[in-house]
Amino acid sequence: MMFLLMAAVTLFAQERTITGTVKDGDFNGEPLMGATVAVGEGKVTKGTVTDINGQYTLVVQASTKKLTVSYMGYESRTITLKPNQNKYDVTLYSSSKGLGEVIVTGYQQIDRRKLTAAVSEVKISDETVGAVKNIDQALAGQVAGLSTVAASGAPGAPMKIRIRGTASINGVQEPLWVLDGIPMEGNEIPAIDNLNDIDDIYQTSIAGLNPSDIDNITVLKDAAATAIYGARAANGVIVITTKKGKMGRPVVNFSTKLTYSPRASIDRLNLLNADEKVGLELDLLRSGYDYRQHKGGVANILDELGEFATYQTGGWDALSSEAQQRINRLRTINTDWNDILFRNVLNQEYNASISGGSENAHYYASAGYYDEQGTVKGVENNRYNITLKTDFKMNKILKIGVSLFANQRKQSSFMTDTGGFTNPVYYSRMANPYFEPYDANGYYNYDTNVQGRENEVPDFNIFEERANTSKERIDRSVMAILDAELKFNQHLKLTSQFGLQHDNYTMKRYAGHDSYAMRKAKAYATYMIDGERKSIFPDGGMKRQGESNTDQWTWKAMLEWNQRFNEIHDVELMGGTEVRHVESELLTSTAYGYDDRTLTTQPVLFPTESIGQRYPLHEETHTENAYVSWYATGSYTFQHRYTLGASVRFDGSDVFGVAKKYRYLPLYSFSGLWRAKEEKFMEAANWLEELNLRASYGLQGNIDKNTSPYLIGTFNKISVLPDNVETIIAAETAPNPNLKWEKTKNVNVGLDMGLLHNRIRLTVDYYYRRSTDLISSRQLPLETGFAMTTVNWASMENKGWEFALNTRNVATDKFTWTTSLNLGFNTNKILNETVAENSTYPAREGYPVGAIFAYKTAGIDADGYPLFEAKDGTTQTAAEFFKLNRFGASTLTAEQQRNLYTYMGTTEPKCSGGFINTFELGDWQLNINFMFNLGMKVRTQPSYSNTYFDRGLNTNHDILHRWVAGTTDTSGVLPALLTSTTARASEYTHFSEYNTYSMLDLWVRKQNYCRLQSVRLGYRIPKKYLTPIGITGASLSLEARNLFVIASNYDNYLDPETMGNPYAQPIPKSFIFGVNVNF
Amino acid sequence: MKLRNIILSLFTAAALVSCDSFLDITPTGKVIAKTGEEYRALLTYEYKYFPKDRYMTTVRTDELLMDKSKTSSTDLDAYLDLWRWKDEDPSPTTSYFSWRNYYHSIYIANYIIEHQDEISNATRDEVEQLVGEAYMLRAYAHFLLVNLYAEPYTHCQPASTRGVPMQLEADVNAIPASSSVEAIYQQVLADLAEAEKHLTVSAWPEGENYRFNKVSVQAFFARTYLYMGRWNDALTAAKSVIAAHGDLEDMNSSSTLPNSYKSVESIVALEKFPSNLFTVIDLPDPDFISLYRSGDQRRTKFFKRVTSSTYNLQKGGDDAFSCSFRSAEAYLTAAECAARLGNTADAINYLKPLLEKRLNADALQTELDLIQPMTADELLQEILDERARELAFEGHRWYDLRRTTRPALTHIYDGVTFTLTPEKYTMRFPTEAVEANPEIERWENQ
Repeated sequence: MMFLLMAAVTLFAQERTITGTVKDGDFNGEPLMGATVAVGEGKVTKGTVTDINGQYTLVVQASTKKLTVSYMGYESRTITLKPNQNKYDVTLYSSSKGLGEVIVTGYQQIDRRKLTAAVSEVKISDETVGAVKNIDQALAGQVAGLSTVAASGAPGAPMKIRIRGTASINGVQEPLWVLDGIPMEGNEIPAIDNLNDIDDIYQTSIAGLNPSDIDNITVLKDAAATAIYGARAANGVIVITTKKGKMGRPVVNFSTKLTYSPRASIDRLNLLNADEKVGLELDLLRSGYDYRQHKGGVANILDELGEFATYQTGGWDALSSEAQQRINRLRTINTDWNDILFRNVLNQEYNASISGGSENAHYYASAGYYDEQGTVKGVENNRYNITLKTDFKMNKILKIGVSLFANQRKQSSFMTDTGGFTNPVYYSRMANPYFEPYDANGYYNYDTNVQGRENEVPDFNIFEERANTSKERIDRSVMAILDAELKFNQHLKLTSQFGLQHDNYTMKRYAGHDSYAMRKAKAYATYMIDGERKSIFPDGGMKRQGESNTDQWTWKAMLEWNQRFNEIHDVELMGGTEVRHVESELLTSTAYGYDDRTLTTQPVLFPTESIGQRYPLHEETHTENAYVSWYATGSYTFQHRYTLGASVRFDGSDVFGVAKKYRYLPLYSFSGLWRAKEEKFMEAANWLEELNLRASYGLQGNIDKNTSPYLIGTFNKISVLPDNVETIIAAETAPNPNLKWEKTKNVNVGLDMGLLHNRIRLTVDYYYRRSTDLISSRQLPLETGFAMTTVNWASMENKGWEFALNTRNVATDKFTWTTSLNLGFNTNKILNETVAENSTYPAREGYPVGAIFAYKTAGIDADGYPLFEAKDGTTQTAAEFFKLNRFGASTLTAEQQRNLYTYMGTTEPKCSGGFINTFELGDWQLNINFMFNLGMKVRTQPSYSNTYFDRGLNTNHDILHRWVAGTTDTSGVLPALLTSTTARASEYTHFSEYNTYSMLDLWVRKQNYCRLQSVRLGYRIPKKYLTPIGITGASLSLEARNLFVIASNYDNYLDPETMGNPYAQPIPKSFIFGVNVNF
Repeated sequence: MKLRNIILSLFTAAALVSCDSFLDITPTGKVIAKTGEEYRALLTYEYKYFPKDRYMTTVRTDELLMDKSKTSSTDLDAYLDLWRWKDEDPSPTTSYFSWRNYYHSIYIANYIIEHQDEISNATRDEVEQLVGEAYMLRAYAHFLLVNLYAEPYTHCQPASTRGVPMQLEADVNAIPASSSVEAIYQQVLADLAEAEKHLTVSAWPEGENYRFNKVSVQAFFARTYLYMGRWNDALTAAKSVIAAHGDLEDMNSSSTLPNSYKSVESIVALEKFPSNLFTVIDLPDPDFISLYRSGDQRRTKFFKRVTSSTYNLQKGGDDAFSCSFRSAEAYLTAAECAARLGNTADAINYLKPLLEKRLNADALQTELDLIQPMTADELLQEILDERARELAFEGHRWYDLRRTTRPALTHIYDGVTFTLTPEKYTMRFPTEAVEANPEIERWENQ
């Protein structure tokens, strides 16, 4: 001891002074103020802080070999001191590629060294995620265990995000989004099949955020991290942290991106050309298949010339030469619908921000403009953003922060019909190639062949429709957050946060007098009035305007206490409460006889009250919900090595018609961390930088708010008989007294490892989630009076592995290459399921939740009817397979019918992930970003219906491979188009009435794909060119998004990702040029 | 540290504040029925949305025509395949008869019956009346279901023939199978008897007369027994209706049509002539109109002549035409039963008051002269024709045809002749119902 002291004293004499500048690598090499420069590595001792110019001076002992430079949110760097050099400039980069010091959970900032939970962080910048339009797109392929599927490539279309598979069946499966600590409302995404109407762009509240305002995103995955969010966090939590000002002089940043997206080619759809389509129609007219036999260009000509019957009996040669000529002319017309309905687009984005700060205050302000044009002509989407963020240190104990996020979004398109065929994406696939939209004089030709279910359609022309209808949605959102922190002393802190979210949208729909939409509305509103059939709507158009307001406020207050005892015992405790209130209203008003030049309307004279009630001119709804929660967390750390943590939350909410005892369910978690590298016996392992083991266990839960044990009704006013208005209660929701909370038990075991000075970082997590009493809706026998109810239906497990591997493959002064690979393997299994006795679709017990079952087919028989492969291996007709009665209904019990199905696969990816490579060479930077989803199956829509194939529409080549009379070799031949025959009447009725045909295994396809998400080349313009013109930093970039996708067979579809949705716009390719300048 | 204390105590107070009142939010417009008024509102909903299938059955009878050039394509889409009885293979646009709506009415009826002791803010009479109406509604829904979807009682072995599922409890978890035709009829009769014990209102004021009242019990009994072929019982019930509510609209003087809810004949004005159905039904078959003899006020008041061979229907197309039970039916039922029992004199006596109100003086005399000498069989046919004339387009014809002779009607469309075969007098269960519960179809295996 004495000796050591002596040695220290001796050494003391030999000191040296180290100076240098610390620069911000993320901010074009700006000086970084407030960075810590300290002696040593790992356990640092003495240190200093950089000044406003980023400079530091530190006197160290001569024996000092290493210095560590660190800054919150940035990756620390170690400098090895050389004997003859006393000036060291260091550039720090943010911790995106490595790990930050603290993890932001939305409630707390947790020291990473005490982190017991499974979380992933993504630094949001152009370099890491590329030019994304919305923040949800930024997450694709970035986080192990988080899978994203694009519902559609339409402008502003949301991503379907799942964290660790699907935990809940009913309702919300989306993760909870949290902005700077305040959970956001309005992020549920409708199911993929509800997105047929792709122009009806769905808006989530996160779509209003400008990605360039976002600093980083933390994804909370296990119960240890999410339990504190309570019931809403059952699907994981995504915490967004926005940028804030840094100490230093004001920094002005300007960036712009120009995006070019070429229109997608629809060659992949394999649609029939005019010649093939005419041939098909001619064949069908002589085949006896008579569904809509007067549809199609050929039948139109034959009907016009009165030769329909002639052709059916006599064939082509019996036709007059005029008919032959006109039909032959059809073969030569090939209207390129893709070309005239879609376009190449150039989109623009501009962002400007100013930020800075002093000792006591920081500020960040930004403005952004984003304009996106859809590749569908007439579809547009834009966004304006303003963000202001400041924080002040009022005095020694009080800190106040205020932030404001405001945006306005506008989407314009035109009206699409509820049947969907006026949707240009659908229409471009369905319109006949020989149909010409304009006649020789430039007037509209009306398409009488493309139609919905009805036999008669009002005049329709897609160009007229586009010109005479419009739909516009304007969203305005404001989110304001007020933070206060009272730090009584270094142990006790009270923080409170108040967040206000206001979302408003106006939806305007207009259908002009000369539009299909209006003609159809009028035809549907035709009644006998004064002995004459006429429409109740006056001449003119229709204008419908909706106004929606959603307001939420959240108030949180937390008391945090931490103390260290005897240098080795760290205790942290936090308790708090959260109160939330959400209110929304929707008002819709409709006017008829609208004239868009004079903005005037005409009154509607309803002939009777009951007709009037069908066309409400003014509608209003109002909903209100309130939530109160209490929560607490605590952790204890021993010797910086062992940490134990726990958290608990009680959620209470207003649930109308629910017993009070069901209002609260405690959700909790326990967790632990062992930092093995800190153990003495590991000290020698120099190759190992860090080795952490984590474990957690927790309970998450969810309750369905729409189901009650009581019969709940809705008031309304109607008249049963004229002139007597009465109150009614519509009770159309089936009560269920047995409904319980849905519970998920969550186990997570994780490992974080840093090797070779963190050049290799590996995170591995294994999780097991067991969900019981899952809530799902179930079809009821209609004899109960109801169609659906909600039940606790099943239990399910999700288990899986997640790997995140980050490596710095090459790191020299000139060249660096980093790789990030993340992989998630999730297997999902239904453990037990109380299948409804009346269900004819199989239970998924033992199968994944996304299980697809189908009928095994065994080709087709001599009449072109599908044949089935029975479980005993025999080949059977539908009549034998289903034991049909004469009405075409199966006489098997529900259970026997369930057993007819065969398991085909699952819709959930077995493996999903991303592979990201970054190369830096001097001022050049290259990012290559792949994402993939593997091992899925998808049930596609049949290429054609075998009983209701509509010959008025175009279709893909599959129809040419169907069975026709005379087909002898049936291998690979698709089912015939059927007509009702006496011999097989019951089978025909079965195929036409039941959805057996779409349940055939023919339509189940593999879905695997790997997408080159982004290739980005960036160039930092060297300072020597910039400084003379007053610019501190500038960079240019060129990025290509979605260049190609490698996938299993997706013939007849544009993109493997959207196979389940035949009307989806393809995910566009785009090329982006970006400029970023700092002043 | 005064500030700290204040803030701490505020924080504690806020955290401990009772949150139950904050959470007690009644969603706008939502309610769990408790009071008599609210139970009434539950029932009113069922009356309002009670299926109008009885009117739609008219499409399947000989009362109207469909024509390629005269009928609109919307109507052809919806009704042509019903009209030409193309039941195996209807176009997907074809209208369908209800299923779940009936059972929703039955559910609410059962719910009221089960909760009758919990109804607050209502007098004993009001509660009794609600319960009585609930039994009536349940009986009526089962009655219509069995007559749409099961073989006619008079043409099958009722005890061993598949009927429809019977629901006597408000239970969303039930997986019902079909009961026999006999069982359904017996339950209808039992419910009627039960309803009679509870109902307290004899007549509702105009505007509320869509609700069941005491008279309607006997009117419904009469129709049920008639459909079962129990002539004596039907006669007794019809007689008591005539005694209690024998008023008839005098069409010689009144301009109110008898199927209007404002008519003196109205007993229950529940089922409303659907306005969208009016246009299709608006092409009465001239052959059917020829059933009316000259001097019959109904010929001109029910129908308006447009051209020499086309007519417009006058007893539909307005919300006022709401009718489920009315006095005239009781006279016709009584007459038919008397004739079937061989009492021609009685039968004529029951028919006469009706004829007096429908025919002008000359025609009445001609008619009486015609029927006086008739044999029982001839008279019966005349009464059935009279029933067709009187209740035309009110949704009776289909049921009367199927309970009697199930004639092989023919319809001609676009040169093709379609024939109604006896088995097509019974509709098949809706596909969506069989899909939701295959158990209901399984009778044929038993």
